[in-house]
Amino acid sequence: MTKETVDGAMEEQQAQSKKGLKKQQKEVEKAAKKAEKQAKLAAEQQSTEEDDFAKDRYGVLAMVQSQQKLDRTLVRVKDLTPEKADQLIWMRARVHTSRAKGKQCFLVLRQQQFNVQALVAVGDRASKQMVKFAANITKESIVDVEAAVRRVEQKIESCSQQDVELHIERIFVISQAEPRLPLQLEDAVRPDGEGEEEGRATVNQDTKLDNRVIDLRTTTSQAIFRLQSGVCQLFRDTLTQKGFVEIQTPKIISAASEGGANVFTVSYFKTSAYLAQSPQLYKQMCICADFDKVFCVGPVFRAEDSNTHRHLTEFVGLDIEMAFNYHYHEVIESITDTMVQIFKGLRDNFQTEIQTVNKQFPSEPFKFLEPTLRLEYTEALAMLHEAGVEMGDEEDLSTPNEKLLGRLVKEKYDTDFYVLDKYPLAVRPFYTMPDPNNPKYSNSYDMFMRGEEILSGAQRVHDAQLLTERAIHHQIDLEKIKAYIDSFRYGAPPHGGGGIGLERVCMLYLGLHNIRQTSMFPRDPKRLTP
Amino acid sequence: MYQVKPVSGGHVKVDLPTCMYKLPNIHAQQGNSCTSEHALQNGEVDPAVRALEARQDEILRKLYELKAAVDGLAKTVTTPDADLDLTVSSCLSSHSPIPSTFKGVTDLDTVLGKDLGALRDIVINANPAQPPLTLLVLHSLLCQRYRVLSTVHVHSSVSNVPQQLLSCLGPSHADSYSRNLFQLGFTLIWKDVPKLQMKFSVQNMCPIEGEANIARFLFKLMAPYPSDPAQATLIDNWVDMAFFQLAEGSSKERAAVLRALNSALGRNPWLTGSELSLADVACYCCVLQSGSVSSAPANVQRWIKSCENLGHFSPAKLLVK
Repeated sequence: MTKETVDGAMEEQQAQSKKGLKKQQKEVEKAAKKAEKQAKLAAEQQSTEEDDFAKDRYGVLAMVQSQQKLDRTLVRVKDLTPEKADQLIWMRARVHTSRAKGKQCFLVLRQQQFNVQALVAVGDRASKQMVKFAANITKESIVDVEAAVRRVEQKIESCSQQDVELHIERIFVISQAEPRLPLQLEDAVRPDGEGEEEGRATVNQDTKLDNRVIDLRTTTSQAIFRLQSGVCQLFRDTLTQKGFVEIQTPKIISAASEGGANVFTVSYFKTSAYLAQSPQLYKQMCICADFDKVFCVGPVFRAEDSNTHRHLTEFVGLDIEMAFNYHYHEVIESITDTMVQIFKGLRDNFQTEIQTVNKQFPSEPFKFLEPTLRLEYTEALAMLHEAGVEMGDEEDLSTPNEKLLGRLVKEKYDTDFYVLDKYPLAVRPFYTMPDPNNPKYSNSYDMFMRGEEILSGAQRVHDAQLLTERAIHHQIDLEKIKAYIDSFRYGAPPHGGGGIGLERVCMLYLGLHNIRQTSMFPRDPKRLTP
Repeated sequence: MYQVKPVSGGHVKVDLPTCMYKLPNIHAQQGNSCTSEHALQNGEVDPAVRALEARQDEILRKLYELKAAVDGLAKTVTTPDADLDLTVSSCLSSHSPIPSTFKGVTDLDTVLGKDLGALRDIVINANPAQPPLTLLVLHSLLCQRYRVLSTVHVHSSVSNVPQQLLSCLGPSHADSYSRNLFQLGFTLIWKDVPKLQMKFSVQNMCPIEGEANIARFLFKLMAPYPSDPAQATLIDNWVDMAFFQLAEGSSKERAAVLRALNSALGRNPWLTGSELSLADVACYCCVLQSGSVSSAPANVQRWIKSCENLGHFSPAKLLVK
């Protein structure tokens, strides 16, 4: 070792020990500080515990495991009106927001579409600790509150109950929510345009769908699904009044009904089976079984790999089939009348829901005519021709042409709902009855809402002979549909019908743009959960 | 060596063609057609078919005239004002359009545009609070002239429409399940509109507003305005007076119009001469709507009776009741 290095090493050691000393000093300081803090906290806590006279009027309750049966009436938020002023009531709601301001804490308590302002103030009923506790309750937690209802002079604009507020005497947490929510409810309800303008956040659809449970709590979602429930109920009620019988058809079937590759296969013991694409075949068999007029509400499975705004792999189908006397227009009249009754019912009874949805997704109100407008395919071709679109006589309408036609019809007749009758035979399935006067056309029809197709229907071929001919013409394997053809061999009445998709009807009625907004837990080629 | 007589005579006249290809003269057609036959120029329809259609329409028209004449005669037997009802058959036959080459379908083509092979639907949006009586009368006149498919709809903007407004176009035609069997469509929609509106061809025509204007349009579907400008102006004058002063004017204006009507009807059985015209239809409906029937002077009362003797005015009367 050279002198320098020895010296160097010595210096290093000295330096190290200096550093070490410094470090040690710092640690000691830190420890001292910590001890001080802890002592302070302990002192504070003691003092606060001593002062807390309201200790038993707030807190987190033990999990409700049905320990006791309390005979307590809980008032609904929507019933909190000035009539209940100065009453002491109990209620259960979610904490929408909580904000502390000095000696007061303002809470907004929410129940479905309704919310009310509540106040915890330091006074003879509440202590400082209680106010602090209220301010720290996490958003979305469920609380039980005993409060006095008080009238307010100035209307509270931001709540649904604008004339009253609650002065809380007791507050208990029934179910606590985790502090970090995957999405904020205000963001989920914000209209897209507003979000961009003011630079505030909006939630994109995938996040909403991944956290569907929280997204469904928003006012918009509540309104949409209440309206959807209304559609289903009006459908059932109207048809039952017309003398229809509700049936349930099997969804596990042995052969693909509509043909093509759009079926899901399931393993069925030693063989495989398919999930029904539509209740078509079974509806018709019910008619041949003398049920005369039937409808069915159930899931429909389509294995189409389309990722569009209006396709789902599983949706709810509302299907109608009925026997008629002499002309299939009797069927059209029945179906359109049902649709008009549904629209009227929604217009008259669900205005609040429609307005709520329009706040986030503005759209034109839905217009319709009674009786429903019925145009023929040749008229549609003439209208499109006038607008500059050339189409062949026997060509099917493409989606952009359907939308254009919808706009033209809206322009001329001012209706968002109409029927297009007498489609060309070449573009319809094999079981469609051909037109008696013109072999190029068929007794089939489509119904449109806001320019998009919602129903495809027709008079069905009820003669086994003709059905076999048509199947051969369409090159369908007769073995696969033997059971279907057999059902017409023992006397079958002339009949027709059609089916609509519940989600699509709601989406188009409200003027929304994506079908996933009207499906609670949507299924598409890319989504299987929740 | 030897001379052979020539086999063929020396000069054989060969006709060499001077023209390579012959094309039909495209200019020749223009000279032949008269203005009302624009539609034939695109040459799509076989002229033989057209001629057949024309004959059929001619026959149908004659049938209608015969029917009207018989109706008129029937009325002369049953109604008190028998002498006036002789005008029924004459007025209906004078209803037939004037040009000799007139064919029903072609006339529609000039007013409504080219026939695209589908029903031509006229849409009228009316407010149920102000039913358009003139249009109902014109509708029944149209039904006599053409095969008209009439439908009544209620728009979602109004909730309750009385039954008589729903059946104001009469019972639906037996063939109404097949729209393409009809020449003309008349769709009446009861809607919450501020002003009466008519739509026909969204691409080529803007909507027509106001009962007077729509009445003029519908009348032109049956017969063109008289070529004499003085006569045409007279009709227009009466129509405007009816809609602006009779229907919407103050009681003073209404009285003035009734006096004018009285003096005009003193000279002629109908307002513009010996034939029924749009002026009569418009004035009758406005008089009815303003409720001045009972207070009208003598000539006007007589004229009202003769209007009512023509079956077409009954829809208006039924509604006012």
